[in-house]
Amino acid sequence: MAPVIGATFSPFTMKKTLIISALALVSVVIGCKKDETDKGPSYEFRKPENFPEPTYTFDNNPVTEAGFKLGKKLFFDPILSVDNTVSCNNCHNQSLAFADLPLHAFSKGVMERQGIRNAPQLVNLAFMKEFFWDGGVTHLDFVPLNAIEAEFEMDEEIENVIAKLNNHAEYPALFKAAFGTDEINTPLMLHALSQFTNLMVSNNSPYDKYLRGEVVLTAQELEGLRLFEQKCQSCHSGILFTDESYRNNGIDSVFTDIGRARITSFSGDIGKFRVPSLRNVGITRPYMHNAKFATLEAVLDHYSDGIIESPSLDPSLENGIPMTAEEKAAIITFLKTLTDKDFTQDERFFKG
Amino acid sequence: MKKFLLLTALFGALFLSACKDEEEAKDPGTFAITFDNMALINNVQQQLSLTTAGNTDYPYTNEMGQQFNITLLRYYISAIELDGPNGEHFHDHMEATAAGAKGYYLVDESKPASQEILLTDVPAGTYNKITFTVGVDSSGIVDGAAGGNLDPATCNMFWNWNSGYIAVKFEGQSPVSNGGVGGTETIAGTDPNGMAYHVGGWKNIPGGVFVYNNKRLSYTFDTNAKVESKLEPELHMVFDVQKLFGGHHAIDFTGNHNVHKPADGVDVANNLEHAFAYDHIHQ
Repeated sequence: MAPVIGATFSPFTMKKTLIISALALVSVVIGCKKDETDKGPSYEFRKPENFPEPTYTFDNNPVTEAGFKLGKKLFFDPILSVDNTVSCNNCHNQSLAFADLPLHAFSKGVMERQGIRNAPQLVNLAFMKEFFWDGGVTHLDFVPLNAIEAEFEMDEEIENVIAKLNNHAEYPALFKAAFGTDEINTPLMLHALSQFTNLMVSNNSPYDKYLRGEVVLTAQELEGLRLFEQKCQSCHSGILFTDESYRNNGIDSVFTDIGRARITSFSGDIGKFRVPSLRNVGITRPYMHNAKFATLEAVLDHYSDGIIESPSLDPSLENGIPMTAEEKAAIITFLKTLTDKDFTQDERFFKG
Repeated sequence: MKKFLLLTALFGALFLSACKDEEEAKDPGTFAITFDNMALINNVQQQLSLTTAGNTDYPYTNEMGQQFNITLLRYYISAIELDGPNGEHFHDHMEATAAGAKGYYLVDESKPASQEILLTDVPAGTYNKITFTVGVDSSGIVDGAAGGNLDPATCNMFWNWNSGYIAVKFEGQSPVSNGGVGGTETIAGTDPNGMAYHVGGWKNIPGGVFVYNNKRLSYTFDTNAKVESKLEPELHMVFDVQKLFGGHHAIDFTGNHNVHKPADGVDVANNLEHAFAYDHIHQ
């Protein structure tokens, strides 16, 4: 804000500019503050018009400002881990649509322990039917349990987390403010985290703005969209850019990680993983559950020329997806219109 | 005057008959259920005794003649219904919220109080049948995190990775088991004779390939239980732990003795209807 004000007053002498800038800044700051007390950011869950109905059960856990802020504090707090070193934020970084750093092919847990899969972005969770690469969890509330108790993530027992929170200087009052209770218990902690993650709605990418008629896409982006609809959309379908199915997309023929079969115990599901949403895909590298591909170019090269056969390979990929270099470039240009900077810069999610 | 008398008489008659109806309808009462965890030894039913890891006494025997002992036994009973010969019906109230859970009972052999369930507000009448679910079906999952008996931190019956509740958790030892169990509360992986049967799986999705291991079981009583406000009928159900490992499918302790996922627990789950039985009623 300051540089803009400075620019407006640039014809003045330096000293005057500084004083006026300072004054203007103060008034702007006061203005902002006043604005926030008047209205402030909304903590209400709002379904974008063109999104499906949320799957989350808001009836028994509506989002409130106090609950959201409590969830945020928990999200950033390493108190959830066994040695108080790892927080949710370690692997879910807002600037990357809450995906992990590109450096971390696999999530990194306590004592530098390495995870087994690439930590996914956290986006539009309120609309998802199942969670994790194998879909083992069917309700958003239960998602954090996996991360907290997994040995290679936070390696802490929920009972200990609840005890630590109950003995904490600040949390009891925050839970009281959010839920009106004196005692902190597991469901309330999970509800607070869900309130925070439920507001992670990404629907302000250039593509969304294009759909709403607010911006235009370039010719190459539009060509990419046309090709995407033709070649990718059968799996990455709908406004969430996933059909939420589990498929073997030919990245391996031997599966040390059996994926969906771990949940279903069905041999036909060996090697199948969740079709991920492609929203913000431009900033969530590396790609696939095993972080096999470092770039989108490598991903598309895989689909055109690198499919590995195995019994559970998705039938739609048996012959690969034919794409020319030019077509791939256009598709990638389109995919980058799914990067939602309003979301990655949404101040409600800032730690401070 | 004549008319007035007639009307009064009519109203009086109506009033009286109404009163009579009310007198006939009895107030609802309670219905207690005790789950007695037992084993049949030399044809005599005996209360179970839990032991701790390392004990080499094996008081129980499965259908295959393999001896064992028990270090932990816990199971969920939920969605209880009672029925009577004259159309009496009672469905226990179910609730799963952050404040607590109602209608989900966690019977734990190490906690005697947990073995007694008290149903309240049961309509007056006679009852001769009970139906319940062993386990927690989707009703305890689909609304998200809940407290009370469903609190994942305190129930010790929750699978994080395949989120849902274990229906029956058994841990113990057998001289024929070769140990090496994991993810247990009472038995170490290094225990050479450890066994773990964590039986669960609630995803009952049409067309899906999930394994559903909760069981909906019904038992009829040989004598009717009479419910009304001043009576306190008490039903005793028996859970025979030896039949958990036989009946429908004989469980071999030398084989699959480290059960931690739905598909591995199918045979044990199918034995549940034989393990539970109606025993008697105190009126």
